[in-house]
Amino acid sequence: MQNKTMIVCRCEEVSFDELVKTASENNCSARELKLRTRAGMGYCGGRTCRTMVDQIAHIHQPRSNNDVSLKYQAPIRPVRFADLGEVK
Amino acid sequence: MTERIMSHPILGDLPHKEKVTFTFDDQLYEAYKGESLAAALLAQGVRTLRVHEETGHPRGIYCNIGHCFECRVNINGLDGERACITPVAEGMVVKSGKVLPTTVRDWRKHHGK
Repeated sequence: MQNKTMIVCRCEEVSFDELVKTASENNCSARELKLRTRAGMGYCGGRTCRTMVDQIAHIHQPRSNNDVSLKYQAPIRPVRFADLGEVK
Repeated sequence: MTERIMSHPILGDLPHKEKVTFTFDDQLYEAYKGESLAAALLAQGVRTLRVHEETGHPRGIYCNIGHCFECRVNINGLDGERACITPVAEGMVVKSGKVLPTTVRDWRKHHGK
């Protein structure tokens, strides 16, 4: 865990090495890579590293036409529940 | 001590601005009214705004446009506020993010699982 050369997902602190290792060992899809490493599941909701996680997965398992890329979860930006309808 | 650029070769001297005070982790800081909290702290040499909740590694400004949530701090009791897009206000109470307990994993560690 210590020798992390390049962090891809800063929220969950997942390094490039970890992602490449997991992707090559399991030959997994982007979604599986995300679930195995937790990259893109942190506070920012994958807003920062999502495309990189996608790319790393696709290197090891080329994407077929049926696959979808990792998606944003609505709303686009995190908002407080209070902002949506707090009873004052 | 300030790390501000007081005299810029193109923009000229920094204009005189109204000052406000706020606290960051119980320490008093001075800032210009209306500037971002992240900028105010950076000008005072504070680069670590929080630590990673699990590993404790330091975190600070990353994208600085409110996109990545790396600079999130607790402002006046509200968690997850982005320091980079929050204007400093007089008397603001800011707390840095700390390591959170990981009870399940700690239990495993102490019970040899």
